[in-house]
Amino acid sequence: MDTLRRMDQVLLFCLLGLAGIGMATLYAAVHVGDLAIWYKQGVYWFVGLTAFFTLCFIPLRVIGLMVWPVYLFALLALALVPILGEVQMGARRWLDLGAFNIQPSELMKWALMLLLAYWFSMREASSLRNLSVAVLCSVLPAALIVVQPDLGTALVLLFAAMSMILVAGFPWKWFGGMLAVSPIALYILWQNMHDYQKTRVLSFLNPESDPLGAGYHVIQSSIAIGSGGIFGKGYLEGSQSRLHFLPEQHTDFIFAVFAEEGGLIATVALFLLYGTFITRILIIALRAHSRFAGLVCVGIASIFCLYVFVNIGMVSGILPVVGVPLPFVSYGGSALLSMLVALGLVMRVAIESEGQVSWQRPSSPLS
Amino acid sequence: MWNLLEIRRRYDLRIYLFIVVVFSLLLLLLGRMVQLQWIQYKKHFTQSEDNRIHISPVYPTRGVMLDRNGLGLAVNEVSYKVTLIPERVENLDETLAALQTLMGWDDQKISKLKKQIKKTRADRASLLMDQLPWEAVAPLAARLHHFSGVDVVAGTHRYYPDAEQTSHVVGYLSLVRDVDIKEGYLHMEYVGRSGLERILESRLHGELGYKHEEVDAKGRRVALLKTVAPKMGENVQLSIDAALQKIASKALGKRTGAVVVMDVHTGEVLVLLSKPGYDTNKFITGLDTVQWNEWLNNIEKPLLNRVTQAAYPPGSTIKMATSFAGLAKGVALANGSTQCEGYVELADRKIRCWKKEGHGKVDLHDALVHSCDVFYYELGDALGMGALSSEARRWGFGEKTGINLPPESRGILPKERPSERRKKWYRGETMITAIGQGEITVTPLQMARFAAAIANGGLILRPLLEKGEPTDVVKKLDVPEEHLQKIKQGMRDVVASQTGTAYYALSRAHWTVAGKTGTAQVVMMADDEERTFSDARKHQDHAWFMGYAPFEKPEIAFAVFVEHGGHGGSSAAPVARAVVDAWADKQEAVN
Repeated sequence: MDTLRRMDQVLLFCLLGLAGIGMATLYAAVHVGDLAIWYKQGVYWFVGLTAFFTLCFIPLRVIGLMVWPVYLFALLALALVPILGEVQMGARRWLDLGAFNIQPSELMKWALMLLLAYWFSMREASSLRNLSVAVLCSVLPAALIVVQPDLGTALVLLFAAMSMILVAGFPWKWFGGMLAVSPIALYILWQNMHDYQKTRVLSFLNPESDPLGAGYHVIQSSIAIGSGGIFGKGYLEGSQSRLHFLPEQHTDFIFAVFAEEGGLIATVALFLLYGTFITRILIIALRAHSRFAGLVCVGIASIFCLYVFVNIGMVSGILPVVGVPLPFVSYGGSALLSMLVALGLVMRVAIESEGQVSWQRPSSPLS
Repeated sequence: MWNLLEIRRRYDLRIYLFIVVVFSLLLLLLGRMVQLQWIQYKKHFTQSEDNRIHISPVYPTRGVMLDRNGLGLAVNEVSYKVTLIPERVENLDETLAALQTLMGWDDQKISKLKKQIKKTRADRASLLMDQLPWEAVAPLAARLHHFSGVDVVAGTHRYYPDAEQTSHVVGYLSLVRDVDIKEGYLHMEYVGRSGLERILESRLHGELGYKHEEVDAKGRRVALLKTVAPKMGENVQLSIDAALQKIASKALGKRTGAVVVMDVHTGEVLVLLSKPGYDTNKFITGLDTVQWNEWLNNIEKPLLNRVTQAAYPPGSTIKMATSFAGLAKGVALANGSTQCEGYVELADRKIRCWKKEGHGKVDLHDALVHSCDVFYYELGDALGMGALSSEARRWGFGEKTGINLPPESRGILPKERPSERRKKWYRGETMITAIGQGEITVTPLQMARFAAAIANGGLILRPLLEKGEPTDVVKKLDVPEEHLQKIKQGMRDVVASQTGTAYYALSRAHWTVAGKTGTAQVVMMADDEERTFSDARKHQDHAWFMGYAPFEKPEIAFAVFVEHGGHGGSSAAPVARAVVDAWADKQEAVN
């Protein structure tokens, strides 16, 4: 009970707010069609919150012990995907574990964040030797994800890893150098992209060029968002989404439903909520009692930040279409579960750091 | 190293910076929202509320395939389709039930359609029925106002006028499957599945167009905003001569086999016939599993392209290659003669000539004309397996011809050594290889190309299927003119000499023909067993005839193969006669 009382109130408030918005929006998206989706998401929330509260009771030093095993398991699962994976939508991403499917790339995101936090808890990202392991551990899974092929997830992974490394003390001048060579890297990437990925990028740059294919999503979702106006059409009143104009409106494109019905006022409110949520995780990182605990929060914050930005960016047509969920709002069991587990870790950091001085000296994560 | 305060300071700073980045990104998104929801609100609102934009594809017309004279091999015929756009239908079950009564569809079709409609995107047309019979168009069109969302659309469907005869070269289309849709095809499109329809898919398909329509909330069209016309697929003119192909098919009759005719100079293929064929039009109307399984399990394998995908023992038609090898290596026998007693003795066994009583004294010319086996047993024995095999490879056997109609069989050539365990071939094996039996198989296409190469003086050509395609010389063989003349004369006398094996079939052909018969054993007899014919068709020999015409100034080369057809001279040669005559008459008529 003492543990629960020491939970971070602001973070909990944000989570409950997002849960409410998520379930309400999902209902709006599916209420004329398949309500079973909504009930299922309710079950996922129940399972996820159970995991969240369980994580609140697991000491961080135990988590520290699990970092390498979890990472290696995720890596092995990723490596097995091309051999055993299920083909869905032309790509092998899922692994069938009998009773349920897992998406190893989803697990890998969180595993890598933990690993980097662990690695840099005793080191700074300022020497090549310290960096090499971190870079290798990031690039290897990213390469495995690229060949699935799932370029979007690989990029999210790399961006999250990069922000981690930056916070861990990566020298600015090296960062500048990397920015300078990035055009070359982008060129190589383009050369190696699948045709459907190129089409997506091109149709993002000019949605009109392919109005039947990839551009369709963006055109339709932009219309839906824009038609919401400042005050929105009202809850359950969105015409675009109701008439099934929106593709995948309950998963990746759910933001369009929200923005159409809620208008600019609601989107601003949602942005503030997400901003508070992520900032709060970072504040917990500042107050953390160990460098490991802090970096764990930073890694998780960077993934949430990327999810929010990439998802809303793509739905509103300023980023290419990449399969990334809107945290706590998009439908989907495994994404929700992993996000709640991650948030449980953050909450544990908050609980353990409550009343302690934040770290002053580099310490072993196990101390 | 660990400057504690410094590290802590850096950590703090970077997290503050992170927070700034988070809010800048949100600000960026906010800017976009302001643009969409505030500044462009009017535009988006009109588009969403009163009138919506409906983008629908306009399908391109698929390119047609013509024969070398402009006759259609794969054409488009006007037809009507019944389509349904799910989101415009008020009550799907009622609509389908009404259609069922009107059209007389069975329950099975209705449940299949329901499944299909569920998979279709709500704003895209789903195909209810293709090739609507003409009598049904008017009654349905008159009642369309009862069925919102249902439409009768004029379009085209593929039609193959000579389906049975051209099935293996032209191929067929069928309706898209889920995998194709993932690759970018749309519902209701047809995709090339086999033959040139598949190989030339990207050229024949054309480019989709689309139209932006403004529709009201009930899905009625208010205005046409913009159209981008589809780009029609490319029309392709093949080198095939449909009339000649038909004549070859008629000459082959109900027998199983293959006929190839090639232009000896350009490599253009005039006839590419594999029998039996199959009715490719059935793929367009929707093939039922019963028919498909019948084709798959039919003992005559109608789906197999015997010209390119099947390899058979060449029998005596390989003897020219054996002869070239003998001449090139300067084997004494090639320029001398031997005595044929009807068999050769090898250890305690006898390997027989097809003529039991023997041919008497034979030289290379006689051996070709009378197809004497004993002469070639001895020649092969003198040459060895390595020389036989490499000569055959030189003439294009054992490798793909490169015709643009994959998959293609290479056929089999014996290797230098039979296997790891056995150091060398037995003499008997080498000897029967010299007459085209044993471990050697060739495709009818390779055989026609061989005949063309003899006719044109050693050019191995890539067989071409499009008219006017630039000639592609795979390799130019260095064959002494003197050797070539010797073989050519032998091939001529197969037809011209009264004792030649194809005299009866071809001596009176409208062009002077040079060629070679082949009778390939299917079941190998024990070396000294009497040659007996089993009644079972599958034990009958394969019949070959290959050659070229006219002898003096060759224009076409051909290979005729009749599966289990019996003797080359009596079974395959008459087919060649029909083809040569038809082509000769046509050329004479032109000049």
